[in-house]
Amino acid sequence: MGLPLFDAQSDPGPSFVRFAEMAGLTRAPVTSELSAHATTVVAVRFADGVVMVGDRQATSYYVANRDVRKIEAADRFTALAISGSAARGLEFIRLAQLSFEHYEKMSDSALSLEGKANYLSPLIQRNNLTSTLVVLPLLAGWDLAHQRGRIFEYDGAGGCYERQDFSVIGSGTPFADSTLRLGFTPDMSREDALALAALAIYEAADNDPSTGGPDFVRNIFPMMVTLTSEGFRELDHETAEATFRSINDRRAASGGVAGGTLR
Amino acid sequence: MSNYFYVAPEQLIKDRAEFAQKGIARGRSIVAAIYDVGVVLVAENPSASLYKISEIYDRIAFAGVGKYNEFDRLREAGIRWADGTGYTYSREDVDARALANYYAQHLGDMFTEGQKPLEVEILVAQLGNKFRPTKLYRIAYEGTISDEADFAVLGGDAETIKGRFAELEIGHLSLAQTLKNAVAALAGPDRVLPVSDLEVGVLEDRGDRRTFERLDDDQIARLLT
Repeated sequence: MGLPLFDAQSDPGPSFVRFAEMAGLTRAPVTSELSAHATTVVAVRFADGVVMVGDRQATSYYVANRDVRKIEAADRFTALAISGSAARGLEFIRLAQLSFEHYEKMSDSALSLEGKANYLSPLIQRNNLTSTLVVLPLLAGWDLAHQRGRIFEYDGAGGCYERQDFSVIGSGTPFADSTLRLGFTPDMSREDALALAALAIYEAADNDPSTGGPDFVRNIFPMMVTLTSEGFRELDHETAEATFRSINDRRAASGGVAGGTLR
Repeated sequence: MSNYFYVAPEQLIKDRAEFAQKGIARGRSIVAAIYDVGVVLVAENPSASLYKISEIYDRIAFAGVGKYNEFDRLREAGIRWADGTGYTYSREDVDARALANYYAQHLGDMFTEGQKPLEVEILVAQLGNKFRPTKLYRIAYEGTISDEADFAVLGGDAETIKGRFAELEIGHLSLAQTLKNAVAALAGPDRVLPVSDLEVGVLEDRGDRRTFERLDDDQIARLLT
């Protein structure tokens, strides 16, 4: 690639996607029967921000991958999670990360959280309306201007909706969503929110074959992330292991029955 | 019918060079220097929002003097080139030398074939790692590219400032000392530059992928005391 210079009329501005399209760097949406799918991530608002927990499994006809990272830092204060086509989803994360950084470097100021959420809408719309490889992301972050955690979810047509409580994406949604509905209270503590979000993923993995639960054999556990005024933090492996081990122990003790409580 | 007068190529080049030099000399200068663990870029710039120094990529910074609109367009092209290259291949494949060469080609083309030469002088700085060296590439208005060993000065008064800085900066010193020397060299013996007239950018490893940091007035003041 040579030096990408534009005159004032054709200049793509600080949008990386627009520039990439003009320079022919983006890939055309394609359709394929053989593709892995990624599933079930939850985001829950709590008193000081947002927690996110996501499973690690990619599934095509069989288990395609057991340690996919479906939640990534889009920048210091924003996390992006994906469900749907793993190929398109991971590409989507890369494009979003690059776009936010590109904007920041070009215009010497960071995009607002709402700006980032809106920026993704047309990308989702274009991908999902032109390809069977549907991707549905979930954006959560700490809003520096408004000093609170915020969650944005999308529908297949690119519609962007802010959620005040929690959001779930992926094939395990009915089970994770039910758990969150029963367990959610506003302004939870960080610990309670993490425990509830982890339980939601456990339930999803228990009932949806495409969602991977804690894998005690291979020592792989769902990703746990917090977004607070300190930014994006991924909890270490030991914490994730301890969280899921304790859920598993409780469930084993009751013979696999929740028994009318969130256990 | 229009008449074409013969102009000797030597004369044409001389005229164009004079034109570009005059434009560049009107602006203030920039000092870029390698210090013990990084690269610092120091500009005399009374504006707090029209920057002369900026981030191009994880380990690459840009500085420009002369006409703002001209070097700012080069800055934008550099960011696009770097982000586009990193997206197409990998982040490790973005190399300052390649970018400096593209800049040199463009400035050279504009000098010989453009309506007018660009009235700018730019610098591409790279912080080294185990794959690449720490480098300062200075590119002049006519496309001459030079690989500066320890420090580079851009702008109209470059030779004088270069002399002053070379006397002060011996070896790779700390950030604070290098910044002090750069500010002293920019100011000269008869002036004191207020912190608000300084723009400072630094490339240094702090454990993050991105190494560029723009220092605010408080940080600059603290380093200068």
